[in-house]
Amino acid sequence: MMRSESARMSSAAEARFRIDAPNSTPRAIKVIALDRPSEVALKRIAQLPWNKADFLTASALAGAAHSEGALSVEHWLSDLVGRTKALIQEIDGADLVIMVATAGENAAGASVIAETCRLRGVMITVLIRGSASASDDAAARTLAPLRRDALMVVVASADDYIVDMLTALRA
Amino acid sequence: MLSKEQNDLLTQTGPATPMGRLFRCYWMPVLLATELPENECPPVRVKLLSERLLAFRDTNGRYGLIDEFCAHRGVSLWFGRNEECGLRCPYHGWKYDVTGQCIEVPSEPEESGFAKKIKLKSYPLVERGGVLWTYMGPPEQQPALPEWEFAMVPPAQRFVSKRTQENNWLQAMEGGIDSSHVSFLHRGNLNSDPLFKGAKGNQYNLSDPRPHFEVVESPGGLYIGARRNAEHGQYYWRITQWVMPSFTMIPPRGDHPVHGHFWVPIDDENCWTWNFDYKPTAPLSQAEVEAMRAGQGIHVTYVPGTFRPRANKDNDYLIDRAAQKGGATYSGVAGIAMQDASLQESMGPIVDRTKENLVSTDNGIIMARHRLLRAVKALMEKDVTPPGVDLEHQRVRSAAVVLPPDKAYKDAARDALKVRAGVHHASV
Repeated sequence: MMRSESARMSSAAEARFRIDAPNSTPRAIKVIALDRPSEVALKRIAQLPWNKADFLTASALAGAAHSEGALSVEHWLSDLVGRTKALIQEIDGADLVIMVATAGENAAGASVIAETCRLRGVMITVLIRGSASASDDAAARTLAPLRRDALMVVVASADDYIVDMLTALRA
Repeated sequence: MLSKEQNDLLTQTGPATPMGRLFRCYWMPVLLATELPENECPPVRVKLLSERLLAFRDTNGRYGLIDEFCAHRGVSLWFGRNEECGLRCPYHGWKYDVTGQCIEVPSEPEESGFAKKIKLKSYPLVERGGVLWTYMGPPEQQPALPEWEFAMVPPAQRFVSKRTQENNWLQAMEGGIDSSHVSFLHRGNLNSDPLFKGAKGNQYNLSDPRPHFEVVESPGGLYIGARRNAEHGQYYWRITQWVMPSFTMIPPRGDHPVHGHFWVPIDDENCWTWNFDYKPTAPLSQAEVEAMRAGQGIHVTYVPGTFRPRANKDNDYLIDRAAQKGGATYSGVAGIAMQDASLQESMGPIVDRTKENLVSTDNGIIMARHRLLRAVKALMEKDVTPPGVDLEHQRVRSAAVVLPPDKAYKDAARDALKVRAGVHHASV
């Protein structure tokens, strides 16, 4: 019997002829810590080799939410060594923004970043760092203000998931 | 993407492989109980986790799953005579019981005790919920029998089928937790399939093609929530359960039965897709069972005498380009099961994950791989029992619910995500 095209072409032998050339260019991914514990985690992760991932922090916004004075706009975002970054410029150059928050922490920076992403049509993923000691309530409290804007929310129990996710996304 | 090493690790399940060791921690479905319908019936060949085995039911109704080949000259015992509490090789008459113990070697004097020195590898084979299950790990670590809800309800409340799928288990299983493909590949079926149509939730599905997702770790694996807009600012949530290593449960629709799958490796390039439909509190209707037998919903029709789907790669899955163009089906392939299987088989026997470009909505798949890799590492390095073995991890349900926008589904639908005796599943 003559084998169908589907049968012939889905064999292991035919898989060898799949074109071996790059089929994508790296996406610009901005990974933004929303609180101090997340910033510490990202500092460690940022040491690994990445294609086109930038690691930033908006944890100053979370701190400002607890203090009296308002934080001026130019200090909303910085890189992990403390250099101030322009939020709009950073988002403008992004294909994807990943906001990292820690269960139980204040995610005040999220709404400003989310609004900027929404206006510029940049997709948002939110990653909540849970842990064995963090309660479901703590994760839910942190997540509540982030849910509306995120296309994808992940609640992960270990920071090595951030590494696996970024690797999977070719960050 | 995965590295080649990670892809090899997750897709290779033969003896002495790390993933093979992980699979050997669980009870796995092997045969429908109807495949061994009576005592002394013909034996059935089984290939599981790259091991060639033979299942049979002896004179007293005991089930056995043993090495397929006679220890004497390597003949397949599929040709054996199932008689007087054992399976006899037709070549020279060597006879084995359900534990693989040789109990007779006609050419040797009985008093020589030679038969006692011959024993084939065997695994336990037990019936539960109309399915024969086996455990292929170390006997001293054999867990309690599985307690998936579909297997615990009375027979009239469930329907179970299986089919072969000609690709690695992982790419089939990943389809089961890839919620974002439903709005495309299966969109034609929501309003036409008798086991899906009519549910209010379908309207939410079809009117909001861009769902938002939340992936949350569960004790046994993952909850994968897909959120769409409902009335009055509320959210319609569809929550899929994935329990390690390869059990998935799809959220129900309306009053239709709830359903799900197991993906079980036959070898590294083929797997069994098990399909179950059940109602926790009521019998399936005759119309529902007839639809399932006719290959509707997640079931298929077969090449006669086999578990190979009638639409398969040898006939180009009976692709109908006019139906594709007209919109009756999105891919041109009929039926939910074969819409999935045709595309998954087209990736090749083991897809090269170094070439893929995952996106944010693939986090369910990324997290499942992450948890599998983590569990394999813990098992290999510290002998940690993986998630999904614990019976509590198996007492889960998928759910479809409407919730206020400020509620986390994991909390608000906590009860709906567990088995509750006498309580109907949560569905919209």
